[in-house]
Amino acid sequence: MAIECLILGAGQEVGKSCVVVTINGRRIMFDCGMHMGYLDHRRYPDFSLISESGDFNGSLACIIITHFHLDHIGALPYFTEVCGYNGPIYMTYPTKALAPLMLEDYRKVMVDRRGEEEQFSSDHIGKCMNKVIAVDLKQTIQVDEDLQIRAYYAGHVLGAAMFYAKVRDAALVYTGDYNMTPDRHLGAAQIERLQLDLVITESTYATTYRESKYIREREFLKAVHNCVGGGGKVLIPTFALGRAQELCMLLDDYWERMNLKVPIYFSAGLTVQANMYYKILINWTSQKVKDTYTTRNAFDFRNVCSFDRSLINAPGPCVLFATPGMISGGFSLEVFKQWAPCGGNLVMLPGYCVAGTIGHKLMSAKVPAKINIDRDTQIDVRCQIHQLSFSPHTDAKGIMDLIKFLSPKHVILVHGEKPKMAILREKIQFELGIQCYDPANNETLCISSTMYIKASASDAFLQSSLCPNFTFLKLNSGLDSDLGDSNTRMEPMLRVCDDRVAQGLLTLQKNQNPRVVNQNELMTTLEVKTHEIKFAHCCPVCFAHSETTDMDSSHSPLNKSSFLLHLLYVKLSREFSELSIQDCHHHIQIKSFIISLCSKEQCSHRTTVGPGALDAPYFCCTWFLEDEKIAWKVISFMKNLDLSHS
Amino acid sequence: MEQHLLSGSPKSAVVALSLITNPFTSHQTLSSLLDVLILNLQDQKFDHPNKILSLLAAISHQRPQLSSRIVSAVQKFFFVPSVPIPSFPCALSLLLNTDHSNTIGSGPFYDESLFLSLCFWPCVKTRRWVAKNVGAFLGVRPSVLLTVLLGITKDPYPCVREAALDGLVSLSNRVAVDDKSLTECCYFRATELLFDAQKSVRRSAVRAVCEWGQLLVALNEEKCKRDWSDAVFLQICLMARDMDMNIRVSAFDALGKIQMVSEDLLMQCLSRKALESTKEKNYPGHYTVKLLRIPASAAAFTFVHGLQDEFHEVRRSACCALQMLMAFSSEFTGEAVHVLMDILNDDSLVVRLQALETLHHISLCGQLKVEESHLHMFFGSLMDGSPMIRSASRKAIQSIKLPKLKMFRLCIDALVKNLELYPLDEADVFSVLYKIGRIHGKYVASIVQEVFQELEPSFDGNLGFHNTRTAVLLVLAISAPVSFDREICSIPPQVFSYAVTMLGRISSSLVDLFDQNTLLNYLSHCSKFTAVSASEFFKGELLDSQPKNSNIHLGKMSDWIFNGCSDNLIGLKKFTTPFQHHSNSVDAATSYTQVIFQQVRDLWPMIQLGYMNEVILTLRNWKHELKRLNNDVHQSTAILVFSMNYLSVIKLYGKTWAHYLSLGNLQFNGMGILEALLQKTERRLEEILCRFLGLSREEELHILELTLVTYTLRLSSGATCCFNACMNELKSVISRVERLHRERSIELSDFIIELQNALCEIDNSEDDATDRLYLFQKSLYLFSPKHIVLSGEIKYMSADVNIFDNSFENPIPFVTGLPVGVSLEITLYNISSEARLWLTIALTEKSTQFIFLDFHEFEGCNEVRKFPFVAPFYRTPKVKYFSIKISVAIECLSEVQRLRHKNGPKHEVVQLCEEKEVHLSLA
Repeated sequence: MAIECLILGAGQEVGKSCVVVTINGRRIMFDCGMHMGYLDHRRYPDFSLISESGDFNGSLACIIITHFHLDHIGALPYFTEVCGYNGPIYMTYPTKALAPLMLEDYRKVMVDRRGEEEQFSSDHIGKCMNKVIAVDLKQTIQVDEDLQIRAYYAGHVLGAAMFYAKVRDAALVYTGDYNMTPDRHLGAAQIERLQLDLVITESTYATTYRESKYIREREFLKAVHNCVGGGGKVLIPTFALGRAQELCMLLDDYWERMNLKVPIYFSAGLTVQANMYYKILINWTSQKVKDTYTTRNAFDFRNVCSFDRSLINAPGPCVLFATPGMISGGFSLEVFKQWAPCGGNLVMLPGYCVAGTIGHKLMSAKVPAKINIDRDTQIDVRCQIHQLSFSPHTDAKGIMDLIKFLSPKHVILVHGEKPKMAILREKIQFELGIQCYDPANNETLCISSTMYIKASASDAFLQSSLCPNFTFLKLNSGLDSDLGDSNTRMEPMLRVCDDRVAQGLLTLQKNQNPRVVNQNELMTTLEVKTHEIKFAHCCPVCFAHSETTDMDSSHSPLNKSSFLLHLLYVKLSREFSELSIQDCHHHIQIKSFIISLCSKEQCSHRTTVGPGALDAPYFCCTWFLEDEKIAWKVISFMKNLDLSHS
Repeated sequence: MEQHLLSGSPKSAVVALSLITNPFTSHQTLSSLLDVLILNLQDQKFDHPNKILSLLAAISHQRPQLSSRIVSAVQKFFFVPSVPIPSFPCALSLLLNTDHSNTIGSGPFYDESLFLSLCFWPCVKTRRWVAKNVGAFLGVRPSVLLTVLLGITKDPYPCVREAALDGLVSLSNRVAVDDKSLTECCYFRATELLFDAQKSVRRSAVRAVCEWGQLLVALNEEKCKRDWSDAVFLQICLMARDMDMNIRVSAFDALGKIQMVSEDLLMQCLSRKALESTKEKNYPGHYTVKLLRIPASAAAFTFVHGLQDEFHEVRRSACCALQMLMAFSSEFTGEAVHVLMDILNDDSLVVRLQALETLHHISLCGQLKVEESHLHMFFGSLMDGSPMIRSASRKAIQSIKLPKLKMFRLCIDALVKNLELYPLDEADVFSVLYKIGRIHGKYVASIVQEVFQELEPSFDGNLGFHNTRTAVLLVLAISAPVSFDREICSIPPQVFSYAVTMLGRISSSLVDLFDQNTLLNYLSHCSKFTAVSASEFFKGELLDSQPKNSNIHLGKMSDWIFNGCSDNLIGLKKFTTPFQHHSNSVDAATSYTQVIFQQVRDLWPMIQLGYMNEVILTLRNWKHELKRLNNDVHQSTAILVFSMNYLSVIKLYGKTWAHYLSLGNLQFNGMGILEALLQKTERRLEEILCRFLGLSREEELHILELTLVTYTLRLSSGATCCFNACMNELKSVISRVERLHRERSIELSDFIIELQNALCEIDNSEDDATDRLYLFQKSLYLFSPKHIVLSGEIKYMSADVNIFDNSFENPIPFVTGLPVGVSLEITLYNISSEARLWLTIALTEKSTQFIFLDFHEFEGCNEVRKFPFVAPFYRTPKVKYFSIKISVAIECLSEVQRLRHKNGPKHEVVQLCEEKEVHLSLA
């Protein structure tokens, strides 16, 4: 069977995450985001690729939303209410709580401020949210009889989750956005070792290796402190949820320690409300917040007050958190316009800005610079620009670590920039030996998946499996090479193997289920007989005359044969003292090698008729393949027996 | 009954168990139960050996005395042919849990075939048990144990794999394996299990990899040891990114145990990208389940990840590991310091503490190179809210070497701030200041030069003791002459004399380096030199930094001071420091008190000058020291108590004197306090005279002289309203003194002679009060305390009163108006038979009832006498509840009769013990 991945968004780009995966006939849509950089049709994924007829309900088993960022959820109301999808939607509890706020905020900005055409209404958002089924971490949800999903903690933002989905034997993990290092307010992603065919991971920082968070924190605090120390104003445009809280926790602690009195403002509305959600959803935050919760809620900031529009131009230093993050509009843009021309002020840019936003322009700008806000407005930027290296996304090391930990059979990279993704792809394939892909938007990818076959086991096999049955394999490298040698030996000389499973045999008979049987049962199961290959050789043995003459006169033929055998036995045991040779009266046995006196005149196994062969007794030898070496050794000895005595 | 118990019904076992666990079951019953159980155990037909074994285990737990029988029975059980193998673990654990010392050399744990059959038994539980308790199989050959355990690591059951790995770990310490291929096999098998799906298995695997890796390293030839050790290190590094917190903790714990790592690899652990030096290197081991080659770059950022982990347990463990690994490379240490400095911003106290400890460790090795960027964080921890952090950070700071004056200044500022915010840290801060001052002599000199003005007393003559900064600078300044810098340090000598004013504070903080005398000598010596000569003489060597050697060096220095410069140091006498004495001598207390008594004399001028704070501080230190001695030596208690009392008298004198001086001529101002102080002093002196037996005449005279001083003080201050009464008392003491003088012809002090003259003069003249005052004052100025030498053995009289079963909740019943008896137990120490003892029962301050204690009828010697006593209390008041205070007092027979108790003592009484409160309530 195969897993089919249709990349509707975030293929070789950041924005409008949307991947539709078909596993064993079940179609799941992971994320349903919008692109913040576009205002035309490109802002939504091309849903028509899912179903040309528009019958989304029939073709999709469910939608899974990883977190509430607009590039992961922005298109959801449009898809459900405008395109008409009515199936189940899964997201975590915090996401369900916070998503409507984000969507509503975005709708307001778009419609009320920019006067754009409405893509979806508040009503749509409400109806859409009604279809959502909230899930908890590590809770296994049986979507239908085959499809199982489970959420794992992803860090990133409040309520962000990675999703594990399994249909019959094929399983995959869709990471969404995640963070492998904890920050002040959220923990690191956490997942367990799973049997996976595929991991679809974000790759925002495909080639970045980030410094320790302590250095980031130190630099941030230094920059802010220097600015307010000089009487400047600090604008920190952030998303309402996430960075704002983390930075605020950091500042709050620092303010407390340094005894600073400069006011820290939160722009009204969303951010204040968001803090409330954080306070409620303590369980989704970092270990530290959880630990201290009993004594004090870390989100009860001691130095933070809410902001009033009239304070924009109030004298004196201050720190202001304002939305939206990339100065793409809204309040942060308004404040930016006012504060940017003053050299003493500071703008803290978030670590990542989507192309097309003011933030993106500022990142590459050299102060002083002139920035075009829109077609008519140009702003003279004189303030300092400091780029935050805080980011809720994992870096290349984190991605590698996660993939190494999960060790899936295949990896698909999404949510990143094309050239960087290619580098990471190569790295994964080279270092970890895992097949990796970085498909573009609207591409479909097919990868093979696991399929397990159910087989019944015989009782004997089960019995034999109960006890340990290990053997040690010695590697035949011959050389006891050490690390210093040029051809370094990477494997141990001795290895332990448990043969329990290896000793089972999978049998597949017509019209029957596959069955595992023990080696010993195989014959009876298959109702066949054992065939053995037996070798035979008949050769004369010349005894010395002195030895045979005593016998000639006094013994009957029967005695004669046993005497000869005994004679041979004595000689053989003298020669091959290391072998266990048994004299069984009628024959001599060495393992499977049997020597008996040949009484037939025309034995079919005779090959040689040598000189003096006529009066010499013939001995017939038989053996199995495994004792071939011994056999030929003994035979050659027997043949040359007389020579040794002459 | 016991026979019924095991009749087979499931209830019977429960009944038996309840019999066993009941502590009141008789020994006989248990013993016969045991007989039955043992009989059944040997019975081949019985098919529940596990049940019996668990009962036996319970018995052996409850009654250890029966365990030997149980053990021998269980040992026989192994030879019963029909025993099912699954019962063995049960029996074996029973043996394990009881003392089986008698089975050494034989028994089931020496049976190889038993071990093997248990291992290959189809039951998972059995295998797990064997793997877990593999250490108990003492008699099985190590190679067999290892081979089997190694095989079991392949078990499909995670719990068995885990137990097998744990077993391997426990074997690694106990068996000597010299088979390299087997060791290698164990190691690689463990590395394979690092990728197990089960957390618990991975966790055990981390430990196993660490232990067996080190065995493997040890078995390799010298030249490849390092490479193998690197391989093990790298392998464990991979686990530092596991998703499970406990595994990460174990991984860092394991990293800390590695004995040898190359520098490249260590540096890679702190770098986020692959370093040039490690780029192409590969090591054997499991990179993933399939890949058997670990690139060295896999170690990248291991420690940084660990240090920024979400869980403080991991961060702490990573910190510890860093500390251990720093021994291998100084370059690594330098880099790690950068990281550690940032950790000081961590939100967890435990982690910050560990980071500081690690920094301290580095600084002890002299590897701590502090940069300016660190200072903010590093010195910031001095202001931390937690005293533990502050203390740890001071510990780390005290041995660092700062490269720049600017940094040193910041350090001093931080310490000042620390002291300002947390005055309780003073002793520790001073000690740190002294220590870093010694390291940075040059900087100290230049700082002191700059701020010398600040140190000068203001023109009203006051030194700013209260000013933290001044204190800090003074301590810093006195450290300079003993600096390690050979350069001449020029600290103005005045500074040292200023520092003397803080002698007590400084010496208590530098107690691990000096004792007070040495410090005083040192300071007074330094203050007498010009700057240049001081440093020339000391050459930075005399006071060494090593505390353990400090006594020797200090000894040297003080020798030098006394011998070489005796001209300059007139007035300072040489005496041995107390510290040199009390290490092994029982007479420590005696000798120490002698030293103190001598010093008391030296203290007198300070008292006269009114430097009371210093005096009190010094006295407090001495008392503290005495208390410490008191814990050590029991024999010399009396001497110690005497000294303590003596010191408190001196303290009272000091206070009195201060008051006396402040009075000036305003005779009627603030009399109350002086009067109270005088009374208290008198009382104390009386107590000393009364309670100590065996005081020599000289000592008695000394005390009497002090008594005279109090009277004189009272008279000369005009503090008394009944002048004549006081005069009478004075005269009686004088006559006592004179008697002593006559008997033993002891020389009288100038003060007493003057006082005698004054008394004569007063008696002869009829002048007014002012004149008398003048006479007394005149004699007073002649007074200075003598050095008393405790000659003979003195004894201290004391008593103990015990009241049983009485508390506020549990009062003694009484009936109003009727006497009530209170049962006591009285213990008397060192009370001679001549003494007149009284039991005092006080209801209120005013009404005290005395009962004569005729203790002669009770047994015991003079040293200790212990007897019960029922004390009748007659005047029970008309209340529901009241409490009385009971004590034992001795009548001072030598005193003039003063008291007029009806049935009580005629003389002054002195209490021999603390008052004990007795609660009574209406019956």
